[in-house]
Amino acid sequence: MSTSAAVIETMQRTVGSFRKPPRIRKPLKLDRHRLPIPHVKIVVGETHSCRLREHFHNTLQDDLMYMTYIHENGPRPPPQPVRLTYDPNNPYTKFRHNPPVGGSQLGKKPSPPSSPKNVIQLEKISLHTMSREALSSRSNLLGAIAAFRALSGENPGGGGWESSKGIQIVTGKKTAHKWKIRPGIPVGVTVDLKGPKMYEFLGTLVEFVLPRLREFPGIVLPPESTSMATPSGVSGVVSFGLPPEAMGFFPQIEINQDMYPKLYGMHIHFITNAEGVGAQNRARALVSGFQIPFARK
Amino acid sequence: MWVRNALSSCRRHPRGPFHPFSRSLATEASTSSPVAPPESSLPQTSHPKTSQRLPITTAIILNRSPLITRTPSLFERAYYAYQARIQRALHNPFPYEFWFKEGSPLETRFRVEDMKRERKAFGKPFGMPATDAEGNVVGPTYEDIGLQEEDEESMPRTHAVDTQGDVKSLDRKGQRNLYLLIKAKSGEEGEEIWKFPEGGLQKGELLHEAAARDLTAVCGPYMDTWIVSRKPIGVYNPPSSSSENSKSFTFFCKAHILAGQVRIDKKHVLDFAWLTKQEMESRLETDYWLGVKDILSDF
Repeated sequence: MSTSAAVIETMQRTVGSFRKPPRIRKPLKLDRHRLPIPHVKIVVGETHSCRLREHFHNTLQDDLMYMTYIHENGPRPPPQPVRLTYDPNNPYTKFRHNPPVGGSQLGKKPSPPSSPKNVIQLEKISLHTMSREALSSRSNLLGAIAAFRALSGENPGGGGWESSKGIQIVTGKKTAHKWKIRPGIPVGVTVDLKGPKMYEFLGTLVEFVLPRLREFPGIVLPPESTSMATPSGVSGVVSFGLPPEAMGFFPQIEINQDMYPKLYGMHIHFITNAEGVGAQNRARALVSGFQIPFARK
Repeated sequence: MWVRNALSSCRRHPRGPFHPFSRSLATEASTSSPVAPPESSLPQTSHPKTSQRLPITTAIILNRSPLITRTPSLFERAYYAYQARIQRALHNPFPYEFWFKEGSPLETRFRVEDMKRERKAFGKPFGMPATDAEGNVVGPTYEDIGLQEEDEESMPRTHAVDTQGDVKSLDRKGQRNLYLLIKAKSGEEGEEIWKFPEGGLQKGELLHEAAARDLTAVCGPYMDTWIVSRKPIGVYNPPSSSSENSKSFTFFCKAHILAGQVRIDKKHVLDFAWLTKQEMESRLETDYWLGVKDILSDF
């Protein structure tokens, strides 16, 4: 067949060697580290196609659009005007706070109308760990930082991407005597993964780590009777935790596990663009499409 | 306009005897006026004489998802190679002492492989064994792993059935989305046409339930399938039924094949084929093709 022959031909053709670099006539200016400053801002793009992102675009996106579609007849009616409890024109009640009528709106935010444009997708994966030893000495956080760098491959401004923040240190916000936390002291590390690195991490997690965990049934779902009208129910985030021994199953850590002072457990948050009522269920549907198992107790 | 009518005919009838499901589910329309029953191609799905035939059929778009990644085009590969060169030129020095034990075979292997990659990326002066001031080689050389070197060959990206032109195998065209088409006799004339597997809707049955039942009836029980959603993903109104009293609608449900293969009953279905969207156009009737082409994946 001509098409398969064309595919084979494309595969066999190698990307030819690159042209010789031009002769340097005038050396580049040097920065304060005596390193040359290029004429253009160099940004490292993708070096290979991303398998899981392709899977999302080929298969998951269509299915999720059909699964999460909610039919609406025509455009939505405009929101009801708020019935004011206190008349702002009355000088006596002019500055009184007008509470919204109809009770708490927490967890009742309506989801945006279904459309092909807002099909649910994974925006980022956030990893987070808290180290109790860091409270006594902040140098104990170094092991967690090194492990997270190996896991995520993130560097601040890495590859010329200014949006890449790298590993960030989490500091205490409030005083909590029970856990010896004071404002400003480092207690843990966090890292946000986006784009191809996010899919790479997801693939590693699904193929190397979760199958090797002992007695891991899947992300445990809350009982069916649990109300979804909570802030987490409408935020479109799926979260779960991994025990410290799970870190040893990541190939990046496994190869030289003895270089780390200890293994760290971590929280993993899959952050999606879903919002409104039922967002968490939609996020679970998306994440399960990447083969993350779920289980009910 | 007919789409609107079709949707409204799907809404639960207020006086219907069948109430337990919410309005968002597509249920059968209970028609009050007598409607000429469309010819059903499948005796398995024919109704008892007492029940009224409905102008609704469900068709199943059974999809086989891609098995392997897409082969990047020459342009994409040139782009990736260029970016890999930039990354290689700019990356931080690799901390060998952190990742490997000093002088371990794994380290030697990694160093030699990295030298190869370096030479491939930048050309001859790069990626050669390191030398000291007198020109003596220090560090690992290509010969160090020469004996244990085995060339890893990747599997071919085209299956044998691709060259044989077998359209019934599920291994064909691993990079593409495939869809199941069946060939059956239609209508009074008995002409053979290609179409998606379809069947009628029984009274009180939901669209996705009918889809599951019809798929088993047409394609046999020897496959695992998953119907993606309860909602139909498209509707087709054949032009022959455009007159007011013989309207008929075909609702399409999407499904995935997970395991197994189609086994057709030769009495009712003549042939089947797993085809890409582009291969379908020549087989389908023009109206049918125009009705379904936008709900199929281009690649």
